[in-house]
Amino acid sequence: MTTSIGETTKSGLSRLRARELTLAYDDRTVVHDLELAVPDGRVSVIVGPNACGKSTTLRALGRLLKPKSGSVLLDGEELARIPTRKIAQSIGLLPQSPTAPEAITVADLVSRGRQPHQHWWQQWSEEDERAVTEAMARTDVTDLAERSVDELSGGQRQRVWIAMALAQETDLLLLDEPTTFLDIAHQVEVLDLVRRLNHEQGRTVVIVLHDLNQAARYADHLVAMKSGRIVAEGHPGEIVTAELVREVFGLESVVVPDPVTGSPLVVPGAPYRPEAETGVA
Amino acid sequence: MSTTALDRKADSASAGVRPAGYSLVRTRFGARRVSFLLHRRAAVVAVALLVLLCLTCVAYLSVGESFVAPTEVLKVILGQPSSDELVVGTLRLPRMVVGLLVGAAFGVSGALIQTVARNPLASPDIIGVTQGASALTVFAMTYGVTSFAVLPYLSVAGGMVAAVLVYVFAWRGGLHATRFVLIGIGFAIALRSLTTLFMTKGDYLVAQQAQVWMTGSLNGRGWDEAAPLGWVLLILLPAVAWAAYAQRTVSLDDGTATALGVRLGHIRLGLVLLGVVLASVATGTAGPVDFVALLAPQIARRMTRTAQIPLLCSALLGAVIVVLADLFARKLFAPTELPVGVLTAAIGAPYLIWLIIRSRTAGAGK
Repeated sequence: MTTSIGETTKSGLSRLRARELTLAYDDRTVVHDLELAVPDGRVSVIVGPNACGKSTTLRALGRLLKPKSGSVLLDGEELARIPTRKIAQSIGLLPQSPTAPEAITVADLVSRGRQPHQHWWQQWSEEDERAVTEAMARTDVTDLAERSVDELSGGQRQRVWIAMALAQETDLLLLDEPTTFLDIAHQVEVLDLVRRLNHEQGRTVVIVLHDLNQAARYADHLVAMKSGRIVAEGHPGEIVTAELVREVFGLESVVVPDPVTGSPLVVPGAPYRPEAETGVA
Repeated sequence: MSTTALDRKADSASAGVRPAGYSLVRTRFGARRVSFLLHRRAAVVAVALLVLLCLTCVAYLSVGESFVAPTEVLKVILGQPSSDELVVGTLRLPRMVVGLLVGAAFGVSGALIQTVARNPLASPDIIGVTQGASALTVFAMTYGVTSFAVLPYLSVAGGMVAAVLVYVFAWRGGLHATRFVLIGIGFAIALRSLTTLFMTKGDYLVAQQAQVWMTGSLNGRGWDEAAPLGWVLLILLPAVAWAAYAQRTVSLDDGTATALGVRLGHIRLGLVLLGVVLASVATGTAGPVDFVALLAPQIARRMTRTAQIPLLCSALLGAVIVVLADLFARKLFAPTELPVGVLTAAIGAPYLIWLIIRSRTAGAGK
């Protein structure tokens, strides 16, 4: 198993880094001394079992959570020292379950993404209009523009939220479990969209996912976390092994090449069978 | 969704998307471009409410112990000589202006606090602000302070202290809407009991006076009360304009708003502070006219169908409610005058019950 921060940082630059990052809710420490360099222009996926601190880490990278100690650096400067509005011009973040104001229309919600570029005396510019139009077209929600967000399906709603984050036009985009509550077709749709945005616009993306196979499929850079620490990181093809799955998820599995992409595919060990237990077979 | 569909969409998107239902108002100040988004429906509703308010005001000035024809009312307002100058201009007009200002202040106050708490129940008359204002005012009354030049200041102080206490007790690493409302209700009840205690301890004449004030009354209010209230509201107007813009950003959830670079803590505090001052000043002038702050913003929002509570429409509707309620309060059991708060409570209480029932069924549906 190759565990190396060196490789990825050597191959590219990192605008966003975590240094000795320790995160806690009240007295409960969730993330310990984390070192992370988010590779520019790549899709990084943070993966791990429930409560491993992956969402917490993402929230800290997007200054939604203040570090207990250590720091998150954007272009070498501590996030805590940068005005929040300025951060919003570089980092976009979509929380796990965002809530829209009652009865808001799709176009209105997506337009809120322009907030960090607006002032009270300038509430709408041609630049805003272009960004919103583009974001809605990319996420295929243009036809929904006048609909109320309340009445959309889960998949549509998620695309609208992503459109809002896109309209913000930031180089870095952080997404917290964007596929939760979606059926498999919509999951694939959302992840494809993210990958496409990364490819076409060179945006740096960090996604938190709990599905290891999806992570292995879509990540350029995979970060596996357990109990608030990074267990392994690197290209999925290099780090996803049966040992890693056992270590991180405590699951016996066989890792085979994905028949479509060739990326590692984790097949869990044999399911429960009554014969095996009672010994009848 | 196929890749080709995406491509086609991206290419064909030549027509710009704007927030649906808004009109763009654009102008220049020198080299600076200025642009505002105007919600069309909200603008229409505002104009309609303004017309309604004017009609209500004319009716208010006409109806009373003696009826004055609307034409005579208009004469007085326009400053032309009229035989009804005394009844309309001296007796009814100042009282109406107080009602108007009090209603507008309560309307905006409710809108702001409901926005911050993201809860239609969180209005200053439910979460302890007006009760705090009442408690200190009644306390002062029982110690012989009866001047309406002093009482409003005490009201503001009382309302502010109550709001700070609720805020501090509800704060646990963040402001949770439900906790904020529940703690506010608790404080409201406690402060109301405290007020009753002050009243029973005090002289019975003072207690009677305090009791009327406590119900919310415009009886005997005139230019002496209208002028300071008007000034305070005028001074706060720029702050309200700021609030109308800032409100847009706090209607999103905390995470999303923060990610968009909104300084949530500052903005929330600013909005609550403004709401508390408005409610307290209004309470100081007319007593806690119940339910106006609760009702006006929610009705206004249903009329405009905006994503956030419309401040201007809340103000106008608040004014309409108080003026109309006082009109009925004067006339319904004439010559006995009811305190205006009795009428607003009669409309507001069923609404409050409906709101609670509705929120409970909505909660169960999740």
